[in-house]
Amino acid sequence: MFQLAPNHQDDIVRTAKIRFTFDGESFLAHEGETLAAALMRAKLLHIRDAPGDESPRGVFCCMGLCQECVVQVDGKTIESCRLSVSPDLHVTSLRRQLDT
Amino acid sequence: MGCASALQMAEGGMKSIVLDQGDLGQGASGVNAGTLSLQIKRVKLMPYAIRGHQEWESMGDAVGFRKTGGYTLAFTDHEAELLHERMSLKAEAGAPIEFVSNSALREAEPNLADQVVAASYCAEDGYANSSLTGQFYRARLKQQGVQYREGFKLLGVEAGNDGYVIRSANTTVSARKLLFSAGAWLKSLTALMGVELPVQARVNTVSVTERLPMLTRSVIGHATGLLTMKQKANGTLLIGGGWQGRGTPEQGRGQVDTDSLRSNLALARHALPAAENARILRSWTGFEAHVPDFYPLAGKLPGYEDVFVLGCVRGGYTIGPYIGKLMGDYILERTTELPLFNPGRSFPEVVV
Amino acid sequence: MITDTDIAVIGAGPAGCNAALLAAEYDFSVVMLDEQVSPGGQVWRAKSPAILSAPETPESVAGESVRNAISQSNVTHLGGVRVWHIERSEDAFVIHYENAGVSISLSCRCLVIATGARETIQPIPGWTLPGVVGMAGATSIFKQDLIPIGSKMVVSGTGPLVFFVAAEQQRLGGEVAAIVTSNTLLDWIKALPAMLLRPGLLFRGLRWITAMYVNRIPIYWGHTVTRVEGESSVSRVEFKKISKDWTPQGQPRFIECDCVSLGSGLISAFESFQLAGISLEHNSDLGGWIPKQEQDGRTNVGGCFICGDGAGIRGSLAAETHGKLAGLSAVAFLGAKINHSIVKLRREYTRAASFGEAMSKLSIPRPGLTKLTTAKTVVCRCEGITRAEIEDEMNLGAQSTISVKSGVRAGMGPCGGKFCQTAITDLIAKTKSCPVSQIAPPTARPPLRPISVNTLAGDFDYSDLPISKPSPL
Ligand SMILES: Cc1cc2nc3c(=O)[nH]c(=O)nc-3n(C[C@H](O)[C@H](O)[C@H](O)COP(=O)(O)OP(=O)(O)OC[C@H]3O[C@@H](n4cnc5c(N)ncnc54)[C@H](O)[C@@H]3O)c2cc1C
Ligand code: FES
Repeated sequence: MFQLAPNHQDDIVRTAKIRFTFDGESFLAHEGETLAAALMRAKLLHIRDAPGDESPRGVFCCMGLCQECVVQVDGKTIESCRLSVSPDLHVTSLRRQLDT
Repeated sequence: MGCASALQMAEGGMKSIVLDQGDLGQGASGVNAGTLSLQIKRVKLMPYAIRGHQEWESMGDAVGFRKTGGYTLAFTDHEAELLHERMSLKAEAGAPIEFVSNSALREAEPNLADQVVAASYCAEDGYANSSLTGQFYRARLKQQGVQYREGFKLLGVEAGNDGYVIRSANTTVSARKLLFSAGAWLKSLTALMGVELPVQARVNTVSVTERLPMLTRSVIGHATGLLTMKQKANGTLLIGGGWQGRGTPEQGRGQVDTDSLRSNLALARHALPAAENARILRSWTGFEAHVPDFYPLAGKLPGYEDVFVLGCVRGGYTIGPYIGKLMGDYILERTTELPLFNPGRSFPEVVV
Repeated sequence: MITDTDIAVIGAGPAGCNAALLAAEYDFSVVMLDEQVSPGGQVWRAKSPAILSAPETPESVAGESVRNAISQSNVTHLGGVRVWHIERSEDAFVIHYENAGVSISLSCRCLVIATGARETIQPIPGWTLPGVVGMAGATSIFKQDLIPIGSKMVVSGTGPLVFFVAAEQQRLGGEVAAIVTSNTLLDWIKALPAMLLRPGLLFRGLRWITAMYVNRIPIYWGHTVTRVEGESSVSRVEFKKISKDWTPQGQPRFIECDCVSLGSGLISAFESFQLAGISLEHNSDLGGWIPKQEQDGRTNVGGCFICGDGAGIRGSLAAETHGKLAGLSAVAFLGAKINHSIVKLRREYTRAASFGEAMSKLSIPRPGLTKLTTAKTVVCRCEGITRAEIEDEMNLGAQSTISVKSGVRAGMGPCGGKFCQTAITDLIAKTKSCPVSQIAPPTARPPLRPISVNTLAGDFDYSDLPISKPSPL
């Protein structure tokens, strides 16, 4: 049937889900997708705090330019929109320590 | 330096106008690494540098001044020898430089490399934020009622009724006296007056990282002078040391040379291994002028009574505000506190 | 100088790929570099390795075809590498790029720059909140990861992209709360003649819009989102009607949502051109500051050619032919005898460009747009500098982008001013009452992307560092 606005959600086949950690918490992601996408799926939008006014920031340009989505892996700063999720991935955020 | 002279002249009741081809404070004074260190000043210029420090200190927050103290490091026995020889002479010239033990260094700066063989310390050292130079002087000039014009590119000078008429593409300004303090662009300006000065430009490279957790509190240098490094209050790490880029002042802004940049950053990483993952956001170059003997040009342009030159001051960011003041005094025909440097002196042959 | 390759092409979008493919036909060695892993650029961005299979789209089909062509050609494709500096010498260029944490250099006799566009977004209160993404940015996520963004999105912007973003959000299983677009139906009717040149695209666009009406998704023509609200992420947006010059007016209305996609059009990613020594000129029809260019991608720098959206926003169809033309210019520069019909290509290019320019026109900012940025709005996201702080600096005398940057650090953060410079330029032009074309962007400085000290310093032995003799005592 001709569909004006098809929904393809169920027709997309993805790799198996694996676990990675973000600030110690474990999340599921399809192996090979970007960390930005994995965090979006997990509804985790607040990725980092701005160094100046400490306002919350997240994925913005989605193409590796704005630097809003950066996280740290093994001490290195990297854009989550350019990072592929793999099973041994442990991400540390640049959020200020939330005092909970 | 031109702005500092103009302010001094205003203080002495002389009217002046500051002209710049670009914006104020965007030459070497606005793009340098901002190090205010007596440890990298020439022995003979030490009295000027010490007074320059006092000027910066009095400008304070408006120029981002911080007196942090500074360490100069030697990583080999040869460099340690060099450090001792050079720093002893500078201390004799009046800089409060002392040699520090490895344990004292480690206590003050735990993140520095283990390979340090010897280090000197000067409590007077610190930095200012060179990006604020333009903003600072614009405000001071306005406050003192000194006119300035940005985007005025001087194209010619003619004799006027009572002095000189200077010309840009679309306006003229007349003045009784002229002061050329055009940094690396000095040579082409004095050439307009028919005077060839042996001014050359070095193309110094500076780089800055993104904001980092605090890794160091002091200004860090290297025995050879090939590294200056400081972490600003906002966490960014500024890395310089006079590594050479490419280009000439006449061609516009210079270019960063990747070989120089690589060595500069390697030296920085060697001194501060904790900075290895820091990301560099920007590297740039600035033109630093000098003459063959590496002493300032500060005095009358040879052959003229009412045309003056100020430039080519090694360590000019530190010394600039002070020597600018001296120049103002000189033009006001006051006795200067310290002697100036005759631009008409003879220079050694330039070895290329 | 003996170079590593004859021709280097930076950027593997439609423009870069076509330039590389054509040049390779003339038996020159061609290396094409791109920070994305696979060729395709923004419009044909490849799927991530997490996608095993998915329904095709026109973009994915075109992308696959160019990826196949590249893999079957003699073009050496370096994917996932980021060019960070371009150096020039007498008769060659040296490109420095990062690959997996290592900096590598590549010399070439001839350089083609096809770095494409990035988007510009007029700062509005709340635009720094998580959940706000660029419109073009949203399409990157859609194409690469095939997921919707948030569960309920408001799309606000100009040109055809608003409808594409909304359609893709739905196709991938997300919800669209509303489309808010500054353009009016009249703007679109004016663009109709140019669109008739591309009936296929016109039909696709009409289908998107009809689908929105059928699914009862409100489209607010002649409106704009004026504020984004939320605590630690988006919870709703405020929007208003706008006047002919895009000044927001009338009563604020609100839409609940958890994400919003904003866009004010595309601009050339001009920094690489600046580093290569190409001068810029201003052309608001083509996205503002663009490299000065002559016919077929030639520039004022001998041996350096440009093509695609980086040379002016004309869209992907024009980028393809522009790429071919620039490829031919490059091989001609290297002495090849051309056996393609340049005349035919030029004709094709002109046709495609007029369509692209009509689409770009829908996004040319109008004066009222800047009013969205209130005094307290953060303009420079990296450093958290507000419009009021920038204006204070200008009142103190800063009259150029360089002075504003030096004085308040606006544009000095990690993005290098890529997302605030347009707004800052507008503010300066407004204060000086002069056209934006007189406010030149700041000097480009390497690295083009942030790169670590370790990468730039490389492996070294302290004793091998070229430590010269100390400065005179
Ligand atoms: C995010 C985005 C989404 C868009 N979506 C659509 C769309 O869905 N439909 C549509 O019709 N048009 C879209 N457009 C417009 C469309 O992308 C362009 O018209 C067209 O792709 C231009 O082709 P190009 O080859 O000139 O540039 P691009 O396709 O942008 O290619 C340029 C390439 O250069 C690379 N690059 C840039 N700098 C460097 C560097 N320093 N080192 C290494 N590589 C570098 C980039 O990664 C990119 O792959 C979009 C634009 C953007 C910015
Ligand atoms: S979202 Fe902009 S760099 Fe990742």
